[in-house]
Amino acid sequence: MITFVQLLISGISVGFIYGLIAVGFVLIYKSSQIFNFAQGEMVMFGAFLVWAFLNLSIPPVLAILLVLGIVALAGYGLERFPLRPMIGQPILATIMITMGIGVFLRGLALLLWSHNIGIKYQPIITEKTLYIFTVPVSNVTIGIFFFGLILVILLSLFFNRSRSGLHMRAAAESHQLAQSMGIRVTRAIAQSWAIAGVVATLGGFLLGYVRGIDFGLTDIGLVAVAAALVGGLESLKGAILGGVIMGVAQMFTGGYIGYGLKEVIPFLIMVFVLIFKPYGLFGLVKIERV
Amino acid sequence: MRRASGIFDTSYIQDMTIFRTKYYSAGMVLLILFFLILPFFVRDFWLAFISSTAVTVIALQGLNILSGYCGQISIGHTAFMAVGAYSSTILAAQFGVPLVLCLPFGGLGAAFIGLLFGLPSLRVKGYYLALTTIAAQYLIIYVIKTPFPEVTGGAIALNVPALKIGNFEFQTERHFYYFVLVMLALMTFFAKSLMRGHVGRAFVAIRDNDIASEAMGINLYQYKLLAFFIGCFYAGIAGALWAAYSRVISPDDFTLMGSIWYIGMLIIGGVGGTLGPFSGALFIGALREICVIVGPYISSMIPQIGAQISASLVEMTFGITIILFLVFEPRGISHRWEIMKESYRLWPFSY
Repeated sequence: MITFVQLLISGISVGFIYGLIAVGFVLIYKSSQIFNFAQGEMVMFGAFLVWAFLNLSIPPVLAILLVLGIVALAGYGLERFPLRPMIGQPILATIMITMGIGVFLRGLALLLWSHNIGIKYQPIITEKTLYIFTVPVSNVTIGIFFFGLILVILLSLFFNRSRSGLHMRAAAESHQLAQSMGIRVTRAIAQSWAIAGVVATLGGFLLGYVRGIDFGLTDIGLVAVAAALVGGLESLKGAILGGVIMGVAQMFTGGYIGYGLKEVIPFLIMVFVLIFKPYGLFGLVKIERV
Repeated sequence: MRRASGIFDTSYIQDMTIFRTKYYSAGMVLLILFFLILPFFVRDFWLAFISSTAVTVIALQGLNILSGYCGQISIGHTAFMAVGAYSSTILAAQFGVPLVLCLPFGGLGAAFIGLLFGLPSLRVKGYYLALTTIAAQYLIIYVIKTPFPEVTGGAIALNVPALKIGNFEFQTERHFYYFVLVMLALMTFFAKSLMRGHVGRAFVAIRDNDIASEAMGINLYQYKLLAFFIGCFYAGIAGALWAAYSRVISPDDFTLMGSIWYIGMLIIGGVGGTLGPFSGALFIGALREICVIVGPYISSMIPQIGAQISASLVEMTFGITIILFLVFEPRGISHRWEIMKESYRLWPFSY
């Protein structure tokens, strides 16, 4: 029973990170109808970048903020060059353009950091074991849980209250309509790329804090993509829920069955969801008739 | 398709002919002769390059049929190659069947697994389907790695028996060169013929608009699954050939990265034509070799960058090449080639 609750809690806490990364993915999809297959590489690259900046002799908070700023700017830039010409192109082209970005980021990471094997962040908080109703849980897990929760709340506040958040939601509904209301759609898309980069970097940082920084973080970024699909692509709360489902499923299979299955269970879930409920739990069901 | 000046098609048979003019036929004969006598003049390095490119082209033709003609995007192509490689190897190693006979079985095995992962295509399409094939990539490699290590060799390498026809054993680069090229010619001919007939036309119709094609009486499910079957059959054959050629296979040969490379090659070569796979595979193969050669020079000049300079250089140039092609020439090298041919034919009256 204790193992069960432990796995559940750590699953939910990892799930929040997946959900966070998935939100970035959903944002890009909603604003520009482009699937960002580079999300995994963005997570990996962000984690490495944070590590590199933390090694500079500047305060850690400043370093992380600096990285987030750089990543947000890079997101703006990405929208401008390879992605703006891609709007309305065939799906194969839009898939490959994001994959090309991903491959490039991967090559760049290999160039810069391939000799750093088995690196970890300096511990920010000392690890202790807390007891929640006699269940021992690491305080890092709890910390990540609350950090993820705060970020999710901040993001939803941004989308429901702030001006640019509303602009982005309007652009997601319809490019034409938003433009006729005086909203700059290209800026909204660029902002969604910037936010996606920021949440991917934060997710990479948190995941890297838990399991070490390596190129395997790319696969985890893809798990977040699967989570977004399970939750339904149009819904932010679906993305978070999908992330939690994936995290819990991974922890349970990892704890009770085996490590190998833990890596692939999210994709198994995704295939089943796609077969039986193709547009996810909260997605818009598209009906096509002749 | 435009003909050279003065050639007019007056019947459908003439319209469909592949080698319409004498020059085409003569060119083909010359090309075959060139590849026949090439091994007597060049080093093994070039033969190995041609053989591995030929295997890639076979795999790419499958992907071209599935994603280029039928529009069902697959990002799990190397996983289906892995199915072909492993099923033919296991059949040969465990049951003692000659490896040559196992090649088609490798193709069929991959084709049936492809059918299984093509099932979601009945309900979802586009991006969703692409993600299903990514799932196929992870799930297939998992099945190879984990549950039956005594059969599949687990995560470590599996040895492949020697390729023999009768008592003749394929040992040197030259033997494989001929074998692979014959296979390539056969598979290309098969793909070309299939895509010219009603199957190919149905595929193109589904790619362009699936609802409209269904309204015109094309059985959508049947043809989508057929596309998966044929595409993965090609992948399986290519995987089995690769196994027979490299003599040792491991799950690490068949990664998601590899699948991305295949789609990239297809895009760079040009989607939905016979020439695309050839030009894409050649272009990227050459680019990769150049990066591998240039890499050590750069790392000797700037020693502080990582040891994996070649690998990172290959991936960075590949990423940039894909992006540039998609933005500036989305129809690929083969389209450029067609334009060049047109302007050559019409020169100096290019109106």
